[in-house]
Amino acid sequence: MSREIVMKPSNEKATKITLTITCWVTAIIFFLPIAWIIATALKPKETVLDIPPKFIFVPTLKNLLDALQFSNTLAYFVNSVIYSFIAVFLAIFVSFLASYSFSRFKPAGTDFIMFLLLSTRFVPAAAFVIPFFQLFNILQLKDSFIGLIIFYTMFSIPFSVWILKGFIDGVSSKFDETGLVYGASRPHIMFKLVLPQVRSGLVAAFVFNIIFVWNEFLFNFQLGGLNTYGIPVGLFTSITKGGQVDWSFVASIGTLYVLPLALVIFFFQKYLLVGLTFGTVRGEV
Amino acid sequence: MSVSPRDFEAKIKERPKNVFKTNRGISWLLLTPVLIFFALLNVLPTLWMLGLSFYDYTLTSYKPPSFNGLTNYLDFVKNEQLSASVSRTFLFLFLAVIFQTLLGILIGVFFWKNENMPGRRLALTLFFTPMVVTPIATALFWKLMLDPTFGVVNHFITSLGFERTDFLTNSSLAFPTLIVVDTWMWTPFMALMTLAALGSVPKAELEAASVDRLPIRRQISTIIWPHAKFILMLGILLRSIDAFKTMDLTYIMTNGGPGDTTELIALSLYRFAFKSFKLGYSSAVSVFLLFIAIALTAIYLYVLNARKKAEESA
Repeated sequence: MSREIVMKPSNEKATKITLTITCWVTAIIFFLPIAWIIATALKPKETVLDIPPKFIFVPTLKNLLDALQFSNTLAYFVNSVIYSFIAVFLAIFVSFLASYSFSRFKPAGTDFIMFLLLSTRFVPAAAFVIPFFQLFNILQLKDSFIGLIIFYTMFSIPFSVWILKGFIDGVSSKFDETGLVYGASRPHIMFKLVLPQVRSGLVAAFVFNIIFVWNEFLFNFQLGGLNTYGIPVGLFTSITKGGQVDWSFVASIGTLYVLPLALVIFFFQKYLLVGLTFGTVRGEV
Repeated sequence: MSVSPRDFEAKIKERPKNVFKTNRGISWLLLTPVLIFFALLNVLPTLWMLGLSFYDYTLTSYKPPSFNGLTNYLDFVKNEQLSASVSRTFLFLFLAVIFQTLLGILIGVFFWKNENMPGRRLALTLFFTPMVVTPIATALFWKLMLDPTFGVVNHFITSLGFERTDFLTNSSLAFPTLIVVDTWMWTPFMALMTLAALGSVPKAELEAASVDRLPIRRQISTIIWPHAKFILMLGILLRSIDAFKTMDLTYIMTNGGPGDTTELIALSLYRFAFKSFKLGYSSAVSVFLLFIAIALTAIYLYVLNARKKAEESA
């Protein structure tokens, strides 16, 4: 008789508990650096630079409120919201049209265009900064919301097309055919028959494009300006605020930035895989 | 409009042979917006960059741009600092991706084996958060923690009896420190890919194997690996590509220093463009990176298609 069969249930339970503890400890270790930033933000300002660092303290919201009231902080957040939401919405709309076409009509060159779109994900951002910088100077789009929205729409299109094409491929074309037979118009088929069935693709594309746009630093820094800087630039400039580094301030902005992200990961966990693999891998996690 | 079942059958029979081939007009119409965006914001900048790379063009000098053929490319090939930073980038990529992959597989297997653990979703949220944080923030956070005087890391090191160290300005420690931070950031990604890879193994086959009491090593080699390898490969490829692009992290944490011990190629490129304003020269470097990116894309798609084929034949 083999060992597995003899194995007592209590033994199995012990393995389960060990495994659970290992998983939790690992998760907490990975989160510690972020927890430390949040703790730093909650510490009274004068104790932040204490040696040795304080681990036990009375938390205060003062730093967070101060950071929010500091001249540009709120504006950075608002800017990020404005350009990311408009750009991603636009990108998903045009990408849906394109991926429907790619998926259903398979026009000549589909594979090639999909290839080119994917390759944009792989080029170091710095390589494209110069042409964009000059282009934006010539078109006088620097530090304008229109310029950034146009840029971030393009920035979000490749991922949206890849992810939506994958999802539309998964919807049988029988739906389209039946719709046509019943005399439905093409827009009706696309938006009333196919669109509802790729809802999770749309959610994934939306959530992750927003994150990518929120996190994008280099182009925002080079193509934006004081009126259009977003959160990463805000974080970047926070270290230079007033000569000496104000770590309470940096940690507060960092906390305000990280918390919504953590919430997104909690609520949209099942889309994380498809989001981080650019729509190329789908599956259960 | 009411259609009786018989009418419906008839209509199905009289429908065009292929509804989708007869609509070339619509297909291109639907593509137009994306193609316009792509032409204006991808093709145009690429051609611009390609053109610039053949010019001697420095913003800070008042000379007008002048055509200089392949000089920029030859300079780039001859530039030892730059080739050093390319090989440093590959070393960084290689080490970081190996650590992340090994650790990621290990942790991924733990979470896979423990599907019903209490609070799994919360634990995974804590675990996954580092990878969605923008590298700018990550870099700042670690700078605070690694600070030689009040940083929390040094607090632990000194309480363990080691000497106070400034990780980011020590020329032999800065590079390994960057790898550690990158590993912290991206191990969750490889664990996520491991979870996905293991999730792609058909449950029925695994159950059959455990009923047959197949030894675990054989289970891995005959059932798990053939299914899981594609997604793992894709994960490693994606990580390699992103590691190759690393810039924000080094920009904030070390700015390439001390000396040029952490100068990775994307940062060099940024500096050529925006510190010394050599637009022609940095465009040549960009074109080089573009070619690497295209090659990597081709490899990535190759693996992706291999997976598709394997799935279809299965």
